[in-house]
Formats: sequence, C-alpha cells, structure tokens
Amino acid sequence: MDRRRIRVLLVEDEEIHRVLARAVLRAAGVEADEAENGAEAVRRVRERVGGGGAYDLILTDKQMPVMDGHEATRQIRAMGVTTPIVAVSSDSLPSDVQAFTAAGADDFTPKPLTKEKVGHILSKFGLA
Amino acid sequence: MAAAALRVQLEALLENMFATGMVDEQFRQLQLLQEEGGSASGFVAEVATLFIDDADRIIADIGSLLDQPVVDFDKVDAHVHQLKGSSSSVGAQKVKLACMHFRQFYEAKSKEGCLMALALVRSEFCDVRNKFQTMMQLEQQIEACSPK
Repeated sequence: MDRRRIRVLLVEDEEIHRVLARAVLRAAGVEADEAENGAEAVRRVRERVGGGGAYDLILTDKQMPVMDGHEATRQIRAMGVTTPIVAVSSDSLPSDVQAFTAAGADDFTPKPLTKEKVGHILSKFGLA
Repeated sequence: MAAAALRVQLEALLENMFATGMVDEQFRQLQLLQEEGGSASGFVAEVATLFIDDADRIIADIGSLLDQPVVDFDKVDAHVHQLKGSSSSVGAQKVKLACMHFRQFYEAKSKEGCLMALALVRSEFCDVRNKFQTMMQLEQQIEACSPK
C-alpha cells in the first residue's frame, strides 16, 4: 500500500538549519515546503487553506526576520487552521516553551533537529 | 598519495576530533545522514562550510559590537544565540560550550567578560575550522584519486 504523502512546512530563516532539517526530513521520507520567515509561512498556509490541501505538519523556528515564530503561530491559528505546529528552537527554557504553547503551538523540540526527533513528532501526530 | 593512505589520515583526523570533544554526537548524525544515502555525498562538507561562513561573520559582528563605547548587549545576545545554534547543528561542541559560557557575561553586561568570552569562542572556532578544512581537503583528494 502506498503511504500518503505527508506535507510539511518548514519555517526557518537560517540556511544551515534549513539544510539540516531538509536532510533529516528526507531521511524520514518526508518532503517539505520551506518558508524563510513567519510572514512567508502565514502566506503559504493561507494559500493552502484556499485550495491545494492543508499541511499535515508545520515546524517553526522562533527568531526570524519580518515575523517571528510566535506571531506566525498566532496568525495561523487565527485562520482556524488546526494543523499540528511544532516549535523547533535553540531557546528551550520553560518560559520559551510556554510562550510557544500560548501562541498555539502543539509541541516543542530543541534544535538541532534529528531523525529521532522527527520520528517522534511524526508518531505523536499520527503521521508515521 | 594513494586513496587508502588518505582515508587512514581522514579517519585519524575524525577520531581525534571526537576524542578531544571538538565535535559531538550531532556531527556523527551528519555523517550518518550522508552515509545512509538520504543526502548528497558532500552533505557534511556543505553543513561544515555553512557553519564556517556563519561563524566567521557572527564573530566579526560580535567583535564590532564590543568595540563600541556603549555596547548593545541585546544584540550581542542575539549573535551569540545564533552562533550557538549553528555550532549545535554541525556538532561543534567546544564552540557551542564557549557560547553557553558567554551568556553569563552579556547578562551581567560585562564588556570585559564578553571580550574574554569572545576570545575563547574565536579560539575554539579557529581550531574546529582548521580541522573541518583539513577534513574537506582530504575528502577532495580521496575523491580525486578514486576510480571514476
């Protein structure tokens, strides 16, 4: 049986983290669309809501130019989008996790993204 | 030099980098991603090069900030945070630890402490950059003398 193609949106401004995340997601059999800041992520999600099918998962960084991950998460939730949003950040103090949760994120994982972390996330949200 | 001898040299270099704590498990993860074929053959070199370029720029930017008569410690924080993230992604453990050590000084708004912390970050970065560059040169030489 063919596995349904999982659609992931990766929101990350720094190339080194995008290159790593891309490789880790590919190793997990997942191809990702990429946005380099929160505003671009909101636009991409809005386009999907308008047609083309929603994303199955959104992975977002916190500190980004133009719009940060907190604000992007808030705006995506304000659209009524229920896609799991997982924050991926180097800031992993309890207050950082709490801030993302308050913005509407479902989960938090510290950088760097690894195969194990991606596997755990996919399993947790029924995408494995 | 024959490819086999170069491989021995490369293995010894990598072993030394792990043994001295210069790189950590994350660097092994990058190697595994490359070996498992999910990524391009130059994946580790690509990430190492991105790290070197990022770190070079960030360290210079921190140096400029600390040169100012009035230091913007929030900007120092943001740059150190960014460097910590990059070093963590490539597995440059000693640079990452030096960035963590830096935190106490910009939180205390100590310019002198920050300058000392920056010197340590720069020193750890220079060490790992040299090793990464040697690693990439050896990989290129091995590739050049391998049968096509």
